[in-house]
This record gives sequence, structure tokens and C-alpha cells, in this order.
Amino acid sequence: MDLELLTQLTQAFGPPGYEEEIRAVIREVVTPLADSVWVDPLGSLVALKRGTGGGKKTVLAAHMDEIGVMVTYVDEKGYLRFTRMGGISPLMHIGGRVRFADGTVGVISVERREDSSKIPALEQLYIDVGASSREDAPVKVGDPAVFMRPLVAQGRRLISKTLDDRVGCYVLIETLRRLGPTPDDLYFLFSVQEEVTLSGARTSAYKIDPDMALAVDVTMTGDTPKALPMAVEMGKGPAIKVQDSGMIAHPAVRDLLIAAAERVGIPYQREILLGGSTDAAAMQLVRGGVPSGCVSIPCRYVHSPSEMVDVTDVEQTVALLSAALAPA
Amino acid sequence: MNTLELIQQLSAAVGPSGREAAVSDVLRPLWEPWSDELRTDAMGNLIALQRGNGAEPRPALMSAAHMDEIALIVTGIEKGFLHVHRIGGTDCRALLGLEVTVHGQEDLPGIIGTRPPHVLSADERGRIVPWEKLFVDVGLPHAEVVARVPIGAPVSIQRPLIRLQNDLVAGKALDNRASVAALTLALQQLRRREHAWDFYAVATVQEEVGAKGALTSAFGLNPTLAIALDVTFGKQADDNGGGTFPLDKGPTIGIGPNFHPQLVQRLRDVAKSEEIPTALEPLPGHSGTDAWSIQTAREGIPCGLLGIPLRYMHQPVETLALRDVERTARLLAAFTASLEADYRPRWEDEQ
Repeated sequence: MDLELLTQLTQAFGPPGYEEEIRAVIREVVTPLADSVWVDPLGSLVALKRGTGGGKKTVLAAHMDEIGVMVTYVDEKGYLRFTRMGGISPLMHIGGRVRFADGTVGVISVERREDSSKIPALEQLYIDVGASSREDAPVKVGDPAVFMRPLVAQGRRLISKTLDDRVGCYVLIETLRRLGPTPDDLYFLFSVQEEVTLSGARTSAYKIDPDMALAVDVTMTGDTPKALPMAVEMGKGPAIKVQDSGMIAHPAVRDLLIAAAERVGIPYQREILLGGSTDAAAMQLVRGGVPSGCVSIPCRYVHSPSEMVDVTDVEQTVALLSAALAPA
Repeated sequence: MNTLELIQQLSAAVGPSGREAAVSDVLRPLWEPWSDELRTDAMGNLIALQRGNGAEPRPALMSAAHMDEIALIVTGIEKGFLHVHRIGGTDCRALLGLEVTVHGQEDLPGIIGTRPPHVLSADERGRIVPWEKLFVDVGLPHAEVVARVPIGAPVSIQRPLIRLQNDLVAGKALDNRASVAALTLALQQLRRREHAWDFYAVATVQEEVGAKGALTSAFGLNPTLAIALDVTFGKQADDNGGGTFPLDKGPTIGIGPNFHPQLVQRLRDVAKSEEIPTALEPLPGHSGTDAWSIQTAREGIPCGLLGIPLRYMHQPVETLALRDVERTARLLAAFTASLEADYRPRWEDEQ
């Protein structure tokens, strides 16, 4: 496990629509590994690894963007009000910190409330960058920020901000590093704006016009206290998507992944995710339709600043993709 | 024709989502003198092309403003009275006592009423009248209503435009005829200016039911860049503070993932050099406008958004400042004229 790379990936700045920093990190790593690399009109990064023949095109998509916040108002004392970029819950973030593109750090806190037993609304939260006035605040309306939390490796578990979906980006990069010759042309798509609209994967898949599309993303687990029942556990292997709230995986794609896992002896879990979806849902619907599926890395505490995954799950996801794409 | 007359004419035109032909009929003679080509596409979008003077193949800027309006649809007939439901985000709190037109076999005037307050329980009096208790009355007996009004007939809201103080106007369908007016003015202004790029003005259909006309017209035109025009929330007495913009202080420029950062910056720069006041409008995800449909057409089209601040959105008294319409037009025309023949937005880290 290349922890140095995963650290770089999880710590790079990249809220939806503002993926320059994370794109630069990934571009540097994939450029020597791919036959060509380009940026699409909305900002997605694509690395093409040419196949040995046949000319079939497969897309592997992991999103670069991360959940964050955007400043909507700076008050006269220099406190910031903000809105969500992607699915964030006030419960997860009070007392946390955010970082702006220029490095400015802010603390998230909450107004005094009459009834402190209730979860506050996002409108009751504010960010304090330590400014003494509106004029003194180093940020302005429209500036995006992301949550801060370092990567910690503890035994076989990894804890960090933004494992959703930088661990997917990591899996794509590792797959690109390890893969030998493959029959298909492989398009490694590092997409933008998954957390808000899936628009990056949608538009890049249109351009590529693929024969098959796979998303690589995190999924939730049912293995924590009083969790919503879900037959996916952290540490029990990659999850092969059957269905989520945005898509039914194409049965041929699903079975291709299952057959590959069984052939090389990788444990896997069948995934049904009730709340949430991935880039595959958008890629499935471009042009005349694209058979699409998804491989998920089981992840606890998705969309909190401390997401948790298992190293073996990550490594086996790379192995599963390699087996599915380069059949022996 | 001055801006007030233009807005008056466009506000009066009837164009529920999916039935916008009457609005394009009003627009065609207004756009024709300023267009090199003018056509209606398969979905009903009205498309004007004003060619640029750059070398071919020329890049193209598409500017879209939706011409459909929220309305009602007949869902049933009970004892001669029409049951209706919404087309788009029509607000049932704002319908009682309205005059409407029922577009059946022929247009019939009608009104929306409900039971008088005297006969309501205390509980009912405090509540919003739900859709199933709202009726359109056209004054005909049951059999004749059934014969003349098919289920599915659209029902449009009638409300003449009025002029308030300080060059504010109030009326129906200013969402988004105000932007259609701005687009019309921009076409006129651009004719008198040098511009290297081709300029497509598109009056889109079916925005209020999911920005569908913008999706197909952007696919069809495949422009290099696009600017969508729509209304945005104006400051009013009882708003909750954030996300609203004062009237008569200029259009808003959308900022967020729906918009290319370089276009946002360029719009701001052009506004500054033209002395047009603007405000930045943070939109952290899907903007809910034509801009999203356009941005995600084909392989992705870099997009910007201008918003005209408007109070009481989706009520028949939508209120805005005429000067904001004119400023939006000037900004759009100046932005278009500013595009150098070889300009393309690039990402910061692109070589």
C-alpha cells in the first residue's frame, strides 16, 4: 500500500468545480503510466491506456471532487455563513476545521440555541477564520472550502478525510500501475462534480463513447452500532454493485466482476445501497446507453471528516479490477 | 419599442411549459431584423443566429433564456367545475381569486375560487387550500364544459403588467420573460458591435419542468461556450437573509461548480470595464437553471449564468427593476463582443 500517495490524494484540495489541485497531483502520477492524458471541458482528467486489439473501450471512473462548503455571506464582524457543496450534515462538522484554496483555515462553530437537544440547521453554523471585521476577512462570498483531517494508518485500517473518493482514485492509479497488456482500450477517468450532479462523468463518458463503464467509489457499511441493515462490512472484500438508488448495475457487468473475483479467489460482497449512487448512474445513460457497473470499497462514516476503510479491501479492489480487465 | 413595452408584450404572451408557440410568435418579428438565421427546432426552441466576423470555422456562444411559464393543467371535471394541478412549480398559495384562461377547444376565460370563509371550520380557515379543493369556474354547465374542455387542457394565469415606483414592474411570467427581453435587447445591441464569435440566442422551452429545451438545443448547436439567463431571488421584507439580491443593483453572476471559473471571472471583468454593477451568487451545486442542462450536454459545455433579481417568484406579481433587464443585456452583449477569435477557457493547470 502506497501510503504516501494516498496521503497526497486525500489531503489535496478539490471541492466540486474546483478540482485544480487534486487534478495536478493525479496528473503528475498518471502521465508516465498512460499513453495519453487530457483534461475534458468540465475539468475531468482522462488517462488512456491502449489495448492490444479489438478496440473496445472501457471506462473506469473515480471522482476527484470532495464534499465541502461555500461562503454565502461575510458578516460585519468577519464571521462566515456557508452552504453545502454535496451532502454534508451539521452533525458531523461542529468543532471541525475547513481549509480554503489559499490555505486559510477556519473553525466551524454554532450559534447559541434555545433548545440544544435538537440538531442545529446548517444556517445556524458559521465559520470563524479569526478575522476582526468583514474587511479583515481573507475570504469572500463564493469561496469554497474543504474539511481538514489527516490520514492515519492504524493496523489494517485507514482513517482520513475524503477517502470518498480519493481511495477510488488511488485504486485507479494502482490498477494502471500494475496492469499488464489488456484487450480493451482503458480510459481511467478522474471525474469532477460527482458530489453535486455527476456532470463530469456524464460528459466525459459522452466524449469517450465507451462499450462498458465501471465506477470505483466507496459504499456504506452495515457493521456499526445500530446501522441501517446493509449486507456490506468493512474488511470483507470489495463490494460488487447490484443496485443503488440511482442505478441497477448491468447484469453482464456485474457477473463479469463476480466471475473475475471467483476465478482468482478474491472475497467479494454483493452490494445493495439504499441511499446514494455513483458516476455509473450517469455514465449508464449517455448516448444510446452504456452497460455499467460499480466496484465499491466498503467505508464507514461516509461524508464525515473521518472516513474509515480497510487496507486489504483496497488492495483486493485493485486485484479484482486487474483480474476483470486482463483475463489470463 | 422601449424596455417597458417589450416586457409588457412578453409578459402578456401565453406560454405554459410544453405550449410555447404563442411566445415564439411574439418573438419572431422582434428577433428577425437582428438575425442572420431564425428557426424553431423540433422541441420548439426558437434559435436566432447572428454571425461573427472571425475566420471560419468560428467558435459560437449560445445564450439561453427560457420562454415557458408556470401554469395549470385540467385534471378532471366535477359538476361543471375544473380540477387543476400544476405545470412547473406553481404555488397553490397564490391562486385564489385569480383570473385564468382555459385553453380548451377555444380559449375560455375562467376564475379560481374556493368555499367562502363563512362556512369553513376554524381549522380549515388557517390552512392552505389544497389542490383538490381548488376549482376553475368557466361559467358553463357540466355537459358543455365536458364538450369544450378536454382533460389535459393547459390553464394560464392572466395578470396585466403594472408599473410600480422607481421603474419597478410587477406581473406574471417575468420568470423568465425578463431574461427573454434581455436576450432580445442583447441581439439588437450586438448587431451594432463588432464580434468575432457567432452568437446564438435561444428562447428555450420546458425549463420549468426540468430544463429540457436547453438540453436538446445545446446538444443540437454544440456551442463552444454558453451563458444562461434566468431570474434569481430578489430581496424582500420577509426573506431569511441569505441568497437574495437587491433590485436595481444589477444582475447576479453565478459562481460554483455549474460554471467555468474563467467565464465567471471574464463576466466580472467585462462588467467592471462597462461600469455595470453586479453581485456574485454562490450556487454550490445544480443551479436549477438551463445552465445545468447546457453544461452537461454532449462532452460538456463551459457555461455561465446571469440572474435578474426578482421578488415573489412563481406568484403572479413577480417584481423586478427594468434597469436590471437593460444591464443584463448590456453585459451579455459586451461579454460576447469581448471574446477574441482564439479565446478558449482553459483549466488553470492545463499546459
